[in-house]
Amino acid sequence: MAKTALVVDDSTTMRQMVSFTLTNAGFTVVEAEHGKDAVSKVAGGAKMDIVVTDLNMPEMDGIALIKELRKMANFKFTPILMLTTESAMEKKQAGKEAGATGWIVKPFNPELLLKTIAKVLPA
Amino acid sequence: MSNDFAQFQDAFFEEAAEHLAVVEEGLLQLEQHPNDWDLLNKIFRSAHSIKGTAGMFGFSAVAQFTHKMETLLDLLRNGQKAGSPAVTDLLLKSTDCLKTLIESAKTGSGIDEETVQRLTADLAGASTSAAQPAAARGLGGSAGAAQPGCEDRTYAITWTPPDWLFQRGLDPLQIMKELNDLGSLAKVTLNTSRLPDLSDLDPERCYLSWEIQLATGKDHKVIESVFEFVREDSVLKIEEGEALSVKREALESGNEIRFTNDERRAESGEPKPLGEILVETGVVSRETVDHALAQQKRVGQILVEQKAVTPEQLEQALQKQRQQETAVQARKSDATSIRVDTDKIDKLINLVGELVITQSMLSDLGSRFEIQQLPVLLERMAQLERNTREIQERVMGIRMLPIGTAFNRFPRLVRDLSAKAGKKIQLVLSGEETELDKTVIESINDPLTHLVRNSADHGLELPEERLDNNKPEVGTIRLNACHEGGSICITVEDDGRGLNREKIIAKAVKQGLIAEHEKLSDDQIWALIFKPGFSTAEKVTDISGRGVGMDVVKRNIESLGGTISIKTATGQGTTFTLKLPLTLAIIEGMTVRVGKETYIVPLLSILESIQPKLGSVKTVAGRGELINVRGSYLPVIRLYEVFALQPEHTEPTKGILLILETEGERVAIMVDEILGQQQVVIKSMEQNFRKVEGIAGATILGNGTVGLILDVRGLLEIAQREEAVAV
Repeated sequence: MAKTALVVDDSTTMRQMVSFTLTNAGFTVVEAEHGKDAVSKVAGGAKMDIVVTDLNMPEMDGIALIKELRKMANFKFTPILMLTTESAMEKKQAGKEAGATGWIVKPFNPELLLKTIAKVLPA
Repeated sequence: MSNDFAQFQDAFFEEAAEHLAVVEEGLLQLEQHPNDWDLLNKIFRSAHSIKGTAGMFGFSAVAQFTHKMETLLDLLRNGQKAGSPAVTDLLLKSTDCLKTLIESAKTGSGIDEETVQRLTADLAGASTSAAQPAAARGLGGSAGAAQPGCEDRTYAITWTPPDWLFQRGLDPLQIMKELNDLGSLAKVTLNTSRLPDLSDLDPERCYLSWEIQLATGKDHKVIESVFEFVREDSVLKIEEGEALSVKREALESGNEIRFTNDERRAESGEPKPLGEILVETGVVSRETVDHALAQQKRVGQILVEQKAVTPEQLEQALQKQRQQETAVQARKSDATSIRVDTDKIDKLINLVGELVITQSMLSDLGSRFEIQQLPVLLERMAQLERNTREIQERVMGIRMLPIGTAFNRFPRLVRDLSAKAGKKIQLVLSGEETELDKTVIESINDPLTHLVRNSADHGLELPEERLDNNKPEVGTIRLNACHEGGSICITVEDDGRGLNREKIIAKAVKQGLIAEHEKLSDDQIWALIFKPGFSTAEKVTDISGRGVGMDVVKRNIESLGGTISIKTATGQGTTFTLKLPLTLAIIEGMTVRVGKETYIVPLLSILESIQPKLGSVKTVAGRGELINVRGSYLPVIRLYEVFALQPEHTEPTKGILLILETEGERVAIMVDEILGQQQVVIKSMEQNFRKVEGIAGATILGNGTVGLILDVRGLLEIAQREEAVAV
């Protein structure tokens, strides 16, 4: 079965790039524009193999989303990667405390993205 | 940068433009509401988005500059720095600068390095906190990954992960696997000493630790990077065992190991150049090949030597080549895309579904049709018509954008204008949600800007003057858009001094546009300001009044098939009303017949149609045929002559003359008959055939034949040329 990924970013370009890369790598991708959107898309109990989320977003930001997901039974142990910029070190710490599995520092290329996902994705 | 992402560049530029608009608009609003936390967050997010995404495409100048802006914005939103007009000003200027940087990333256009430097310094200065490292940096995975391998180093790793390991979605098994991928796991010892009694055990916590022996060629950093996400929270020790590798010693002694060109080429599967192969097979030496290569000349040089071309000709040709290259580049950046709401597409798909159902019902009916089923057939046909019309509307709707995208730039413009002219101006926007065609929106930007500048500069008075006239100190400019039937109506309204009748007349007389004591109605006088070269501003400011302007505005609006009108009252203000078609793809047309051919005349250009009296069409030496219509002589074009047709009538008195107007010039064209009025969908001639003089485009008529749409401007030019020939 194809692996599923939830990609959350308010920037359409970023979202498209991430989901393009994942789709090409064989993932079935669900896109969301911000935290609230993401939560509403998985509130029905859908399971995802991986979540890739931006941090700075309207409505509900990435940190709040991670906290929210970790409360849900279907996302308790799901790997969650956050997209950060290098300058946001304190964000990285906050993300870890919220339950993020790992991070990818922007700018990144498709290889790094897939490599990082492979690092945390259970076989 | 990986090429995989390059295809998203256009999307980035589009998105960046949207973010820039958000930043600019937000900054302007911020002046009114300096403590709006949400607003600051929104601005920050947009800047942050630009920075993050620009970096993805390697636009480091954009990323670095945005980073500076972001730093300042961050201080503002955290309350570490108070907002002030100076700060807003700086940020607005930076937004402008960022625009040029993005533009430069897009088209390769030049940037004003000095401004960038200055603003960068200003931004850094305004951000009182210590400068943070720039955001953009080189790409790349873990630092050591690319190093060539030496096979057999052993590491002793002890790892005690934090007990909340699982709660962050981390899995020790993943880490073991990754380590195993680096080399071979010689020995893994599990330490269970921290395991509590079963009754105390929380299955979601991690009580284990490991001692691992790894044999690998990778260096310390690579191994550490395996633990990247847990390193800071774990107790981790990585110790290197004995160094056994010869290659490693070689490395340390400074002998570089790197790929040669050959290896790289072999890896990418490229064929080798001829010279390379000859050298390899020992036929010739490398020196011989190099020498031969050095003698190779470029084709231009050879041609010059053979005296086939002169160096000047060559230079010209090269220049042409460069021009073509630039043209190709320009065309590339001209390609636009449009973002469509998925809702719109979903509805369209629904409609197409309905169309398919209707079609299958019709073909079912057709296969066993009996005459008594005629009512059913008619009903189905009506359904088909409904489906088709709805789909047409929806598809046109895809190109429709809210006009707000064109309005959004005006708050900034008015702010700058009021500062420059020393006036107090308030801008009121309404009807921003009114939708119209993307092309139309893009083309009305300039005319609208001109009208707003005009209102700010000529229309509104200085604060003192306003107070003297019992008006509020702050002048108002209103921009409104609304739908009116099949067209859109945009008004630019100011509550300024209004047009000055006397001044306009005086100026027009001075310019010889009208005679000194000519009797003119108000409307005729207002229309004078659209004449080329007309400007009543006493002093020429850098805002407007350069003498080019209103005539260009009028021409632009008319070229879109629209009209512009003026309403004004002295002391109370002026209103410019633009009426534009909703879309350029469908026009309202009058179908006319010449012989057996049907032509379409754009309805907007028709003033009237007349059947001339005997003898009213006269041939004037040197000016061709003219007709006197209420005192003015218009050139007459016999359409059948222009298109070489066999007409029904050759006598103007038997046919019909359509009086057409374009850009203020009038012409009469002679046709056999007027058939009626209908909406036509324009198909481009250039794209499907080639440009034909006098024809603006083509359309499919109700009976399935092609009807040609007349180009009034083109016809007028034909008429003028014939006059010239007649001379």
